[in-house]
Amino acid sequence: MNHVIEIDGLTKDYGEGRGVFDVNLTVEPGEIFGLVGINGSGKTTTIRHLMGYLRPQKGTCSIEGRNCWKHAAELKKHIGHVPGEISFPDVRTGMDFFNLQARYLGIRDKTRVNSLIDRFNLDASAPLKRMSKGMKQKTAIVAGFMADAPILLLDEGTTGLDPLMQKVFTELVQEEKAQGRTMFMSSHMFDELEATCDRVAFLKEGRIIDVVDMSLLGGNEPVKEYKVEFTSDEDYQTFLAQSFLVKRHRDDYKQVSVLLSDRDLNALFASLSGLDVRYITQVPRTLEDQFKEKYQESEGTNHAY
Amino acid sequence: MPINSALLRQTTRENVTLWGVLTAVQCLLVGVIGMTAPIAAAGIAYYNMLPGIFMGVYAITVGNKLISSQVDRGTLAYVLSNPVKRSTVIVTQVVFFAGSLLAMCTLSAVAHSLGAYFSTFGANSAEIQTIFKLNLGLFTLALSFAGIVFAASCLFNLSKYTIAVGGGIVCAFLLFPIMAMFGSKFAFLSNLTVVSLYKVGSIMASGTGWAWDLVILAAIGLVAFAAGGVAFVRRDLPL
Repeated sequence: MNHVIEIDGLTKDYGEGRGVFDVNLTVEPGEIFGLVGINGSGKTTTIRHLMGYLRPQKGTCSIEGRNCWKHAAELKKHIGHVPGEISFPDVRTGMDFFNLQARYLGIRDKTRVNSLIDRFNLDASAPLKRMSKGMKQKTAIVAGFMADAPILLLDEGTTGLDPLMQKVFTELVQEEKAQGRTMFMSSHMFDELEATCDRVAFLKEGRIIDVVDMSLLGGNEPVKEYKVEFTSDEDYQTFLAQSFLVKRHRDDYKQVSVLLSDRDLNALFASLSGLDVRYITQVPRTLEDQFKEKYQESEGTNHAY
Repeated sequence: MPINSALLRQTTRENVTLWGVLTAVQCLLVGVIGMTAPIAAAGIAYYNMLPGIFMGVYAITVGNKLISSQVDRGTLAYVLSNPVKRSTVIVTQVVFFAGSLLAMCTLSAVAHSLGAYFSTFGANSAEIQTIFKLNLGLFTLALSFAGIVFAASCLFNLSKYTIAVGGGIVCAFLLFPIMAMFGSKFAFLSNLTVVSLYKVGSIMASGTGWAWDLVILAAIGLVAFAAGGVAFVRRDLPL
């Protein structure tokens, strides 16, 4: 399959551990790919390379098979972008800004931009300089999506949006995905990525420490977590004594959480059959759980050196 | 020529006010001078002093705004996120820069000519020609200033460095001839400035030696524009 976005061995060393180091990623057609990491982990640097603003020290970035540095301008015909740091050109209102962008892009039909403005409930006649953070972000989102580009690069797309608008944004992303667009989005908000992404890469100190397939999270993990609470202390102890992989247990609540692959599920029920269970529930694994675990794992390996 | 019309329009909008004010003041001054002083006297008294400073102010302010300040503030991201090549950005901005200076000098020549024509002294065609030559010289001087500031603008991510380096060089060039007048000890300074290539006296005298000086001035400007452009196309932009 031809990758839409391909990052191969990308390295940009800003010194003192800042930058990105040997990043390898591919994004497939129609995929929503998330990039998560704490501030300064290299998300924006990665996106700046894809936008052709930065030249890689080592490695390459390509979009639709074309080098992001060499073909930056042509590639922009197919890329919509919401930048992480928004500074609008020197025009008066939001609408003036959209008109300016439309001239750059050669867009005459205002239907799409107007529908996006309605959707985000944006007052496009407001002066840009007086806009709040949230309004600026909405303006940037409209500008990023107005070109109807098949590829979207979103750097912290929802910063400054209220929860209602975050939801509108998530819906928009899902709709765009349904139309076959490919999206590459960075965020530090796990729920936003959970709601939209097919795969998510974790970036830490400029390196990718994990790439997760979202279809294997949120309750579909191959190894699932089940939480069982018992009525009596005796049953609780009996269960603990068995050979399940216990993730944690709480004596005061008589609760046990076990990790179990699907083929061992019958063994769990067999062992519970003689015991008085108050309830049993599956605890879906969240992106945040996954991230924290991988993060700590990588901390561990770092300390080992 | 790769020029982006949307960018040219936006650049014009952003800089037209300063251009208008400086052009109006310049035209008013040369117009009044044209009406009150003979061309030979006006040449020496006026063209040696003030217009260079006007051009310097315009070159520093606009040169910074064309690239550096847009990188500094991040607004260039909204140019380059469109299918616009960096080289197109450079050519468009240079076309505006040089074009606006040419328009300023042309209008200044027209205003001076009109002033002289309607003055009590009148003006013959040779004198009108001199006025246009003086303003052509002014244009090439302005072009060298503009080139220097533009090159700095292309190199620096921060406006303050562009103003310090590009603006500093232009200011020094403007100050050296004045300092050189403070005695023979400082006379060497007049050899260290491009302003010395704009020889008002030699333009007004017969002969064509001045033309080569103007070619050199224009060449300085063009080389600086080109060097800045090449650097800008190749470098990382923190957008």
